[in-house]
Amino acid sequence: MAFHWLFLISIAAGFVGAMSGMGGGVVLIPALTLCGMGIKPAIAISMVSVIATSSGAASAYVRDRITNLKVGMFLEMFTILGAIVGAMVTLVSGQSLLFIAFGAVLLVSWSALFLQRHEQWHPVAHQDRFSQWLELEGSYYDQAAHETIEYRGARAYLGGPLMFVAGLIAGMLGIGAGALKVLIHDLVMGLPPKVSTTTSNLIIGVTALAGTSVYLAAGVIDPGLVAPVMLGILLGAYLGTKVLVRLSNQTIRGFFLAVLLVLGMEMLVRGIRGAL
Amino acid sequence: MSSGDTKIAAARRGADKFEIDALIGYVLLSGVILSVVLVIAGLAWAWTRTGRLGVDYTIAHVNLFQFVVDDLREVFRGALRPRLLTSLGIAALMLTPYARVLASLLFFALVEHNWKYSLFTGFVLAVLTYTLFLR
Repeated sequence: MAFHWLFLISIAAGFVGAMSGMGGGVVLIPALTLCGMGIKPAIAISMVSVIATSSGAASAYVRDRITNLKVGMFLEMFTILGAIVGAMVTLVSGQSLLFIAFGAVLLVSWSALFLQRHEQWHPVAHQDRFSQWLELEGSYYDQAAHETIEYRGARAYLGGPLMFVAGLIAGMLGIGAGALKVLIHDLVMGLPPKVSTTTSNLIIGVTALAGTSVYLAAGVIDPGLVAPVMLGILLGAYLGTKVLVRLSNQTIRGFFLAVLLVLGMEMLVRGIRGAL
Repeated sequence: MSSGDTKIAAARRGADKFEIDALIGYVLLSGVILSVVLVIAGLAWAWTRTGRLGVDYTIAHVNLFQFVVDDLREVFRGALRPRLLTSLGIAALMLTPYARVLASLLFFALVEHNWKYSLFTGFVLAVLTYTLFLR
């Protein structure tokens, strides 16, 4: 595929990913496969670019002092193992299965985003002993509310294994799987939304590295293709976040979510057709 | 502990937290910038040489460390080529989260003396190192 096409597709993927809040991979992989690239190389290239976008975004978040490093380190033990297993599954899987899995995960994360609850965050009332032992607690200064929010995390014994599954999906499909990670942080561990999104971003980079190493060793990563994709996604995501700050319009978000819905269905249909 | 001591302890915790957060932020940011600069430099060089954007080459069955060592060896041999710069850029990108975990390990072990988290972080680092040596 020509350099400038790869670059342009990646800018668009990074932009839509940032605007919709789902990350660049979910747009990039369907787009690359539509342009004729095999799904495995597309997944591998996307995995490398996930390191770039996650590290770029995390560098800004971490300095805001909202990210919880302990929560991140504890959960990374699970996600990296998941990502390694996931990448190995992809290497031995048939193409149709990957299309179906990708479409399914895209649709599930889509509904999670679409049905995004606007409930108030409830602090954890009772912290279990394991989470207490893990020192899962922290505080951050909320600039909108002008107050310091203290919080404790709970149910780490459940959050850990679930994060293995999130890592598995991330490694298998070459995406960050951020929506899933945030869901686990929010619903299972009771972390405040800001802490869960920023900490999940930190985890995504390390998880993507574990997956990338497996793909690199298998020889699926073509550096000549990685270069334009990585630069394009970074540029697109940067532009996306800049525009996002100016337009926090629900209709625009709705438009990008609609794009993702179409992509998810399309992947699912191609997978099912291929399997028949 | 009096309330004054608690406040001082909290402030000290705050100071430590600031340091590690800032350090991690800079590690991540400089890793990404270094990688982007190397990749763009490689592409620009290839463009001035061949008049085409993009570098054509594939690598198969190497791990990251071999990839870096081979590249650096060629660089020191004076055989700096556009594709080497691009490769080093990708390697820098891959080593960015790795460096972040290393920085976290040093923080937990040397600053916080938190052995529990030193162990957890050490485990993550060990697994990542293992995967980087996969081939």
